[in-house]
Amino acid sequence: MHDNYKTLLKNNGMGRAGIGLILLVLLPALAAPLLSPYLPGEYSGSIFAPPSGSYWLGTNDVGQDIWTRLLYGARTSLLIGGGVALLATLTALVVGGSAALCGGLYDQVVMRFVDALLVLPAVLIAILASAYLVPGISLLIILLASLIWPQAARIFRARILSLKEEGYISAARTFGASETYLMVRHILPLLGPILSAVIVQHGRRAIFMEAGLSFLGVSDPTLISWGSMLQHALRYTYLDVWKWWMLPTGLLLSMTITGLALLGFALETISDPRLLPAGNR
Amino acid sequence: MNAKVNFNQNMVAEHVTDQPVLQIRGLKVNYGEKSILQGIDLELTPDQPLAVIGESGAGKTTLGLSILGLSRGQVSGEIAFKNRDILALPLNELQKLRGREIAMVFQSMANALNPVLKVKDQVAEAAQVHKSFLPKKNMAQWVEDVLVSVELDRDKWSAFPHQLSGGAKQRALIAIAMVNSPDLLILDEPTALQDPLTTATIIRLLKKSIQGRSAIIITHDLSVAAQLSHWTAVLYEGRVIEYGRSRELLQKPRHPYTRGLIRSFPDMMRGKDLQGIPGRSEWLQDGCSFQPRCTQSISICKDRQPILQGDKRHLIACHRGGVIPLLECRNISTSFGSTKVLQDVSCILAEGETLALIGESGSGKTTLARTIMGLVHEDGGEILLEGKTVGKRDKNFYNRVQMICQNPMESINPGMNVLQAVGEPLAIQKIGRSADRDDQVRKVLNAAELPNNKIFLQSYPHHMSGGEAQRVAIARALALEPRLLIADEPTSALDPSVQEKIIRYLLNLQEKKGLALLFISHDIALARKVSDRMAVIRNGRIVETGQTSKIITHPRHPYTRALLEIAAAGSMCSMRLKS
Repeated sequence: MHDNYKTLLKNNGMGRAGIGLILLVLLPALAAPLLSPYLPGEYSGSIFAPPSGSYWLGTNDVGQDIWTRLLYGARTSLLIGGGVALLATLTALVVGGSAALCGGLYDQVVMRFVDALLVLPAVLIAILASAYLVPGISLLIILLASLIWPQAARIFRARILSLKEEGYISAARTFGASETYLMVRHILPLLGPILSAVIVQHGRRAIFMEAGLSFLGVSDPTLISWGSMLQHALRYTYLDVWKWWMLPTGLLLSMTITGLALLGFALETISDPRLLPAGNR
Repeated sequence: MNAKVNFNQNMVAEHVTDQPVLQIRGLKVNYGEKSILQGIDLELTPDQPLAVIGESGAGKTTLGLSILGLSRGQVSGEIAFKNRDILALPLNELQKLRGREIAMVFQSMANALNPVLKVKDQVAEAAQVHKSFLPKKNMAQWVEDVLVSVELDRDKWSAFPHQLSGGAKQRALIAIAMVNSPDLLILDEPTALQDPLTTATIIRLLKKSIQGRSAIIITHDLSVAAQLSHWTAVLYEGRVIEYGRSRELLQKPRHPYTRGLIRSFPDMMRGKDLQGIPGRSEWLQDGCSFQPRCTQSISICKDRQPILQGDKRHLIACHRGGVIPLLECRNISTSFGSTKVLQDVSCILAEGETLALIGESGSGKTTLARTIMGLVHEDGGEILLEGKTVGKRDKNFYNRVQMICQNPMESINPGMNVLQAVGEPLAIQKIGRSADRDDQVRKVLNAAELPNNKIFLQSYPHHMSGGEAQRVAIARALALEPRLLIADEPTSALDPSVQEKIIRYLLNLQEKKGLALLFISHDIALARKVSDRMAVIRNGRIVETGQTSKIITHPRHPYTRALLEIAAAGSMCSMRLKS
């Protein structure tokens, strides 16, 4: 049936919480220059300064404002999350979609390739590749995207295969519709909910992986990242600084990931009505 | 009784030969500017009566009159009667011929009898004109024999025409024509204006009368033609457009005009409603004269007059060789995995025809439809559209062939509103501009008995009832104005009154545009009203196929009989009130 996804999302508690958490990170990140007088790379004060009126969360070991770096770090995380999500989802869609629509040998070959990628340990490869490449933001996005898309390709292929058998798809075929037309006009719009769920999950994984890589110190050291902030803060646990350096960073990272996870769950529920509690059907 | 037998034997013995009695070549008749007969070629052999059928004004009576040399127009060509050209004969020769060797029973019987002469005298008068035929002393006996043979009651022999009923007048006229034992008898609408019982007796009488001689029966009553003639010629705008054995021609007409004539004739055994021929006779000079009314005309039909051709048993004047087979399935086999769903299915669907595909669920009806549409791949066999093998279905194919799916709700994208859904075929085929498409959408929605206001156009499938969704699916299939419509249980979700309207619309399209319908149904009562021919399918095989009327009245396969019995059990006419 034709559902109004917006309304369904609004009525979903997890969805509302997820969106709230994401906005809580996203809005400050967008408004970063307004919320802080400093630049993230700027040595603005003395080192290890405790929180004060001019440095809300104090300064780090080289005198950079931690609050500012948190805000700009959110930008990095969200940029990588968004970039990877889009790139990986697009790749998955193209590969899974074409396999489903074309079928035959092409489908077999492509999906075996996807299977092969699926068994590779993504995190391990990410670490190894990053250690060699020391990637900046764009390279990191490409690297992460190329590691996490295969799972979604399987999801899309399965969904499109089932959509392909729908009566209205065969009906459109009998009007002379081409495969491209079917994809753009019929399948993509119906893929919407599952597409958004996959995008959100991709974003969540990407942010988490980026933080992990930075924490391990294998990404570009000039990247302002929550991961590297955590790693640096960890060096000074013998000082009191971790309270306003490590805790807020960790908290923000958890908030972002929890927010995306909640939103993802909510979208998945909506896209598959069987997951809805009985009352909401 | 005795006299009757003698009379007949007399007639039969005298005339039977295989040589053509009458040969008409290039007969043209003009009344001033208007040409009524435009080149007729016919041959008549004894004991093989010929029926000339056609609409009023086609030139049937003019043909009959011309043979008697009575036509008042400018006549050209040749009418050879026993090797004498009637058109070249001097008047006195012609007079000897008329009534004696060629007799005609005229159309308007009221005018053909002299009001002041008694019946018996009129018959005698006709005989006396040709004195040489009988010696005078036998005359009275001869006339009586004739009157007995036409079964005119003895008490009416001395009556005046105005005292006679229509049937009796007709008998008197036949007696007048028969009294000189002519070689060629021309009957012009012999049963017009008669009630069915009288018609039946007159036909019996005529059958007897024309035995052993040559006869031309001019009629628009096809049942008369079927009962009296061996051969039938179909006349249209002064030309013979189809000629063949009556039985074959009337059961399997090949010319679209003949088919239209037969369809508009109320046949007792046919379940399908009357369908006519679109338009009216226009007497155009260029091209095929039937072209303006023909649903399958192509460019050549407008330019050139077709020639009457074919084998000797069946001639036809049509550039397309008669009604074309639009869809032909040859030995189609389809399987899903190891399950054979269709096995060697063959069927033909002609232009402007309905083929009903009857069978229970799971018999393969829908699979056949989907195979034709290219949605299911056939393992073997061949599908032809307008005589050309169909390979991969392309836009051009779908422009001509459309399907109404079995599950209408599922066949409409839940995310599309009515305007988008019904307009989709037009959009895909890139037909017209957006505004034109919207107009067409409104038109077909109206045809499918749906509102075409803005509110309905903006509504989504989940707003609709099952019946509305089905009508949307029907409208959508009609949007492209296809030549062939495959209708898979198209009215299963509709109430009888809406169903009737939609079926009537489809049959109107068939009449006006030559739409061919492959009507898939398990409802025999409905299929009977819609179809010309029927194919019964069971377990993926066609077990019986033929004319719907024949299958309904004389089913041969036990499965067909079983289906018919079940259908008949549901008839309201057979219900009995319990006391």
